[in-house]
Amino acid sequence: MEIKSYNLLNVGVGGQGVIRATQILSYAALLEDYKVRTAETHGMAQRGGSVASYLRFGTEVEGPLIPRGKTNTILAFEASEAVRIFNYAGPKTVFLINERIIIPPMIHQMGMDYPNLREIRDFLKHVSTNIFFLDGVKIATDLGNPRTMNIVMLGALIGLDVLPLKKETLEKAILSNLPEKLHEINREALKFGIENGMKLRRNNNE
Amino acid sequence: MSRPDFADEDSGKKIIMLGNEAIARGILEAGVVIGAGYPGTPSSEILPTLAEMQKFFPHLKLEWSVNEKVGFEVAYGGSMSNVRSVAVMKHVGVNVASDAFMTACYAGARGGMVLISADDPNCYSSQNEQDNRYFGLHALVPVFEPSTPQEAKDMIKYAFDFSEEYQSLVLFRTTTRLNHGRGDVILGDVNILNRDYGFDWDRSRWVCLPSHSRVLRMRLLERLDDISNFADDFPFNSLQLSGERVNGVRYGFVAAGVPYSQLLDALNFYGISKKVSILKLGLVYPPPKELIKELFKSSDEIVVIEELEPFLENILKQIAYEEGLSKEIIIHGKDIFPQNGEFSGEIYLENIARLMGFSYKKVPVPDEMMIIPPRLPILCPGCGHRATFYAIKQVEKKMKTKFVNSSDIGCYTLAVYKPLEGIDTEVCMGGSIGLANGISKVQSEKNPVLAILGDSTFFHSGIPALINAVFNKNNMLVVILDNRSTSMTGFQDNPGTGITITNEPGIRIILEDLVKGCGISPENIWVEDSNDLNKTVEKLEEAVKAEGVRVFISRHLCSLVESNQFRAQHIIPPTIEVDHEKCIGCLICVNKFGCQALNFNEDIKKVSIEQLICRGCKVCIDVCPQNAIYEVDS
Repeated sequence: MEIKSYNLLNVGVGGQGVIRATQILSYAALLEDYKVRTAETHGMAQRGGSVASYLRFGTEVEGPLIPRGKTNTILAFEASEAVRIFNYAGPKTVFLINERIIIPPMIHQMGMDYPNLREIRDFLKHVSTNIFFLDGVKIATDLGNPRTMNIVMLGALIGLDVLPLKKETLEKAILSNLPEKLHEINREALKFGIENGMKLRRNNNE
Repeated sequence: MSRPDFADEDSGKKIIMLGNEAIARGILEAGVVIGAGYPGTPSSEILPTLAEMQKFFPHLKLEWSVNEKVGFEVAYGGSMSNVRSVAVMKHVGVNVASDAFMTACYAGARGGMVLISADDPNCYSSQNEQDNRYFGLHALVPVFEPSTPQEAKDMIKYAFDFSEEYQSLVLFRTTTRLNHGRGDVILGDVNILNRDYGFDWDRSRWVCLPSHSRVLRMRLLERLDDISNFADDFPFNSLQLSGERVNGVRYGFVAAGVPYSQLLDALNFYGISKKVSILKLGLVYPPPKELIKELFKSSDEIVVIEELEPFLENILKQIAYEEGLSKEIIIHGKDIFPQNGEFSGEIYLENIARLMGFSYKKVPVPDEMMIIPPRLPILCPGCGHRATFYAIKQVEKKMKTKFVNSSDIGCYTLAVYKPLEGIDTEVCMGGSIGLANGISKVQSEKNPVLAILGDSTFFHSGIPALINAVFNKNNMLVVILDNRSTSMTGFQDNPGTGITITNEPGIRIILEDLVKGCGISPENIWVEDSNDLNKTVEKLEEAVKAEGVRVFISRHLCSLVESNQFRAQHIIPPTIEVDHEKCIGCLICVNKFGCQALNFNEDIKKVSIEQLICRGCKVCIDVCPQNAIYEVDS
């Protein structure tokens, strides 16, 4: 199936591997011969700020930015960041959200409250009907390396059948940037991600 | 040594490149030899990518210069010597380089010479969002602007041929979304030029004294004329003429750079990309007059889409006036699109819909909104800057006074936020000391004046201001936050580390010797470890109370660099714990010091250490008044 334009927004917190995930996806899209555009947060990314990467690919993409409401998939590595950019979603946008909240340290000093996972779920129900949560950090930690969370999440997109790329191309893109010794664990992370994504899809259909 | 794709010798290969990598690739393909500049987001990856390429293409001569002016001059010296040269900087860096740039444009280029200005609409990482297309207008040199990574690579390669053909400097302007966006790029051939390099002793050209400059200015104007005449044939300009009407009107769009790509998406969205005329500019100055006149002929209304200032809009209005069309043709620009910030994707859809009479449905907003408090960037765990600012606060408290903390550009600018609130000014690179010169002239004794800046910023432009303070007796305490890294822009080395951009040993500049050389007397120089809090507080108080111009060097390696070094050397940093028997939940560590590894547990009202985040700097041990925080014996 040829894709005219597919829009993915990947958000998280500096240090979670957002830029890396976008880099992998953009390479996978290139391997399937699509035009690719991204826009990323650099510079301050490692200073614990909010990070957002736009990825667009297809036969008819020109610019890197996604208009609000026109995102196919929102991939959030941190749950509250999904709320921050909720207006990029339309009623059919698929959200895949890592069940993890990182409370910014300044919240305490400012005497503010931060939303919890239940509140985030309740709110996002009003935004889209396709919201999926996954404990990506737990899955990655069980596998032996919490840093593979981003690969688990990419795998889950394939399992959910919302990413119009082949599993094989994604695997090639993941491994191409990694030293040999990290191949095994990342293959595993991808596999577990796919399985968990399929599980989410099954539960949703039931 | 594995060879990255971007350093591939083969042409024709299609790869994914970051805009800045594509620019570096174009520079390599053009046969450039000298590259110099100063790091600044969003330009920072260009020279380091070239430095990676240098391992395979040893003809490249690259450097991080001490500031943008010197970087520009390094490149221009190359151009004088018949070498293709590039100067790389962010938009505000061009202000620093402009003294050299404005006159270099008179003498022009010998070896192809390009100045890259990476502009930052929306101030993602900048103190302003100035529009550097005006520098081309100001200096009378052409301005190129690419719209995709592929075009950036091809256009900058072409820019060096162009520069030599017209003997003109080229200003190559980009914006953040081009620099920090990826795209598919097909590689081209790498040219290595075998020419005679060497200085040209043409004093009438390179010595810009009045009698020469009057002549050079005539030549500059002639060059600009020649380029103007060529503008219609510029290979990265294009004109699509339609003549069709949309809702009764013949529309003509004008755009360049990233807005051009976004415009195409928006026109495709409404299915009208073939029903309107589009003038795409790669050369944004000087304008292609014939193309613009043709566009006028086939349009009733023109829409200029450009971020920031009405640069092209004003040019078009001027041409319409000259053509006697100012009454007949409507030129839209800033009446529709904002003059501030970056254009988000929906701005195109909304504004085009409103203008052309389409319906555009905004995303419905849920009845009950959820507000997420901001997640601002903050200083890292283990950062020596946090300890220094905390120490400054302690001294302030001890002396029962308030300091004026004139500060500068770097990671430490983040100390403006709670809980540190440690800086009171930030304007430009090196401005901390410069401003403190003026503030100290009128500041009463009871509010000591501090100038706080980083090591790289001090080398960049703090030195002249420090000499000025000594010479004019503008008394202040200069605090140099010496973390041995240009961290905010990506940990580049600087004269204080003595490591060059290609990772070779240069000559290290010793800060304490340097400030001594600026006229600071030895008893007015302190050097302390930033993370030794008690000692820093003690010595800092001494320094605040001393007379004359004083320099306090607060030194600790950037914690991100340090933790990477630890990891590489298999060094395990100390483990820090909180004794919950002693912790009374006073929250001084969380609310005043504010390291993100300190976590308050609401249930038990005690603080604990987030071990995954903690880097073992041990400063919080000294912060805790209850002595509840301790290092675990390994």
